[in-house]
Amino acid sequence: MTTLLDAPVDTSAWTIGPPRLLAGLDRAERLDAAAHLATHGPLPGSDLRLLLGHLDAARLTGRGGAGFPLAAKLRALTGGARRVVVNGTESEPTSRKDRTLLRRTPHLVLDGALAVAHATGAREVAVAVHDERSAESVRAAAAERPDGRQVRVHLTAGGFVSGEARAVVRALDGGPALPPGRRTPPTATGTLVSNVETFAQLALLLRLGPRRFADTGTHAEPGTALLTIGGAVARPGVVEIPLGTPLGIVLAAAGAPVLPQAVVVGGYHGSWLAPLPQLRLGREGVAAAGGTFGAGVVLVLDGATCALGELATVTGWLAAESAGQCGPCRFGLSALAADVAALAAGRPAVAAAFGHARTVDGRGACSHPSGAARFVTSGLHLLQDEADQHLAYGGCGRPVLGQLPVGGAR
Amino acid sequence: MTATLSVDWTRCDGHGLCAALLPDAIVRDEWGFPIVRAGAVDASDEADVRRVVAACPALALHLEQR
Repeated sequence: MTTLLDAPVDTSAWTIGPPRLLAGLDRAERLDAAAHLATHGPLPGSDLRLLLGHLDAARLTGRGGAGFPLAAKLRALTGGARRVVVNGTESEPTSRKDRTLLRRTPHLVLDGALAVAHATGAREVAVAVHDERSAESVRAAAAERPDGRQVRVHLTAGGFVSGEARAVVRALDGGPALPPGRRTPPTATGTLVSNVETFAQLALLLRLGPRRFADTGTHAEPGTALLTIGGAVARPGVVEIPLGTPLGIVLAAAGAPVLPQAVVVGGYHGSWLAPLPQLRLGREGVAAAGGTFGAGVVLVLDGATCALGELATVTGWLAAESAGQCGPCRFGLSALAADVAALAAGRPAVAAAFGHARTVDGRGACSHPSGAARFVTSGLHLLQDEADQHLAYGGCGRPVLGQLPVGGAR
Repeated sequence: MTATLSVDWTRCDGHGLCAALLPDAIVRDEWGFPIVRAGAVDASDEADVRRVVAACPALALHLEQR
């Protein structure tokens, strides 16, 4: 994968409902320490007990994709924490939310991370990023605050699988940015890793308290979440929504076509879903529709693009992003990509594709093969009629417009 | 406590010894990599499974107590 460090990345953002994470960003491009304090007010002091109480009451889960409760991670640190790691690698190619937070409101992220470090006794806060601009923004923010000396910014290299929590920790410790083969969680060695948005949400939770935090969102999932919206929409970018907001409202606000062909929710380890307006965006709602919310990516496909071709492009990219260290992923994803490419070219390969998706599922050091299998399987289910048409006529006559982009700007 | 057979996929090279020694529990995919049919190991089979774990030339098999 080519990482274009200096290419501009779109960090434009808007909100549905009152902004929380994005508060103040309608008036300023970036909140420095003074603007941050003026917008959010000072961070109240906290200890581990208060932190855990708040996290339990607000049911705050990790916003990097896996959705693991932050309180459970903290409780797994039985021997105390050595280090708090802010995972800002944002390896999902279409996601922008974490870099938007790091570049535009870095103090909110640092507030959350430093509060966890303080409560657990961790001496170091490591912020891992894949791009220079986010690194600069966090360094500048750390230099502005008295507790910023604990913060270290690490520019780590790598592609999709390098953003996995254990791969990030391995890179920070001087190893390769690859998921290790044994499934030992970072908490076992005193390291707490969580996503950028999770720490920013914690900073809000500490200020608001669990009751006011739950003023928006649903009962099961209080608060807001960041989405990254892309594809066939007039207003792509990062959007803050109350958790549980119906897809129809988000699509209308983003300027999507009235009848999209499909949506991809959760990014390229996520699912193809029918664009049902009543689908509620959040972990619970997307799971009820058979998908995964992941890191909040929503991509829209309109009727002008060849959806099967889009699926084939992304499957080829997923195969190329395999680190190649696990056999089933290395060989299986290549075979899966060839199957989907054959389907798009009008050859019969549905059974082979489902078979290879089943073969790779769950068989790797990280979730890359499982995520790729989920993406392809959900796409094949949704695009059954498309595949029949491609088989009968050799295609659908539409070009592949790249509404599901691969690679690109950091 | 159940013992569970797991594969370290970063080590496995698909030699196939495990599938040859435990044909009921392990089959091979089209590239030769093991498919562990049932991860949970009965206590009565545990000694046999331990020998297979030790036989893996890539040290990729693990018996984990859960």
